[in-house]
Amino acid sequence: MNAYALARPRRLSVATLARSTGLHPELIRRFVALSLLDASRDATGQLWFAATAPVTVARIQRLHAGLSLNYNAIGLVLDLLDRIETLEAELRASRARQTTGG
Amino acid sequence: MAGDFYEVLGVSRDASPEEVQQAYRKLARTYHPDVNRDPGAEERFKEVSEAYDVLSDPATRKRYDRFGADFRQVPEDFDERVTAGQRFRSGGSRGGGGVRVDVGDDVHFGQGFGGIDIDDLLGGMFGGRSGWSGGGPIPGADQEAELELSVEEAYRGGHRKVTLAGPAGQRTYDVTIPPGVVDGQRIRLAGQGGQGSGNASSGDLYLIVRIKPDRNYRLSGRDITVDVPVTPWEAALGATVPVSTPGGEVKVKVPAGSSSGRRLRLRGQGMPNSRGTPGNLYVEVRIMVPPKPTNRERELFERLAAESTFDPRRQR
Repeated sequence: MNAYALARPRRLSVATLARSTGLHPELIRRFVALSLLDASRDATGQLWFAATAPVTVARIQRLHAGLSLNYNAIGLVLDLLDRIETLEAELRASRARQTTGG
Repeated sequence: MAGDFYEVLGVSRDASPEEVQQAYRKLARTYHPDVNRDPGAEERFKEVSEAYDVLSDPATRKRYDRFGADFRQVPEDFDERVTAGQRFRSGGSRGGGGVRVDVGDDVHFGQGFGGIDIDDLLGGMFGGRSGWSGGGPIPGADQEAELELSVEEAYRGGHRKVTLAGPAGQRTYDVTIPPGVVDGQRIRLAGQGGQGSGNASSGDLYLIVRIKPDRNYRLSGRDITVDVPVTPWEAALGATVPVSTPGGEVKVKVPAGSSSGRRLRLRGQGMPNSRGTPGNLYVEVRIMVPPKPTNRERELFERLAAESTFDPRRQR
């Protein structure tokens, strides 16, 4: 009989995410309701998260604890930070094209 | 713990609570590790948070003013305790809610009393040194730092020492740069980013490659363009000329009849690529004339001018 290594699940359940982040599952569900965390819902209504969700949760926690932002405002901050990141990347790319010629 | 809390926040010692809060809010927004990816920002943020934790509370602020940086070693009810100690000594008892307080003749500041470690208590209250007030363990943020390389360094790769500000002063990394990195490429140093609080994991540190603009080499992705100056007769008659490239000097055959701007491609001689085809090296011909021709040179040019019917402005 062949032995197979356990494959790491590509998606995380609410319980798994709650355990790995140390947060209450209800808080995780609230993050989804506030649209801070992207989640997909399967046929049974169970929520599933991408493998990168713990990184986002950590960011939410840091913003919440470090700047006393409420969770509602964090949604906006996350969006703006993402946009700034995209813009800065574009700016860098176009500046690199200008300075190094081509 | 670095520096005076007032200096950390940049306020005077008699600043009003509003001024303290204003200074803190501004600094916290500037140095929050999710807003500021600079590796030094996190440390600054923690310092600022710690300073604010202390100065925002009137009672702690008073104690800080009075006892200085070691104020946490001094129990909160210092004055009460001193008088209580005196009362104990004189045989009196402290009429406080039936709690038995174990204080001897000498007051142990470090230990606190009743078996409670004051430092522990306050450390927990102020979120310790983590800078995150309240909450459980939170993983650290990713950080970014720029790594400036010359075109040659990017071409060759190799080792490079990188020194960055860190939680315990400067930290130095020996980074291996793969040959042929391009501008904007990120080198990941796992677990070297912002520290997590509690036992949570640290973030990653990303070094972003910036290639310094170079006088000789122009980069476009992995393609490198280099100018090669040639004399008018080399350009007209063809010649083999040495060209310096990031990888060293190469001989390039300039075909006869090359005008300025002609690009000669040296396939695969651009930036190496560990995961695919390397870039090309383009050699661009630039015709140079002697700035101060000798009499003989002038004479020969004049003869050429008289004999030649070539007019580049009349072509098409």
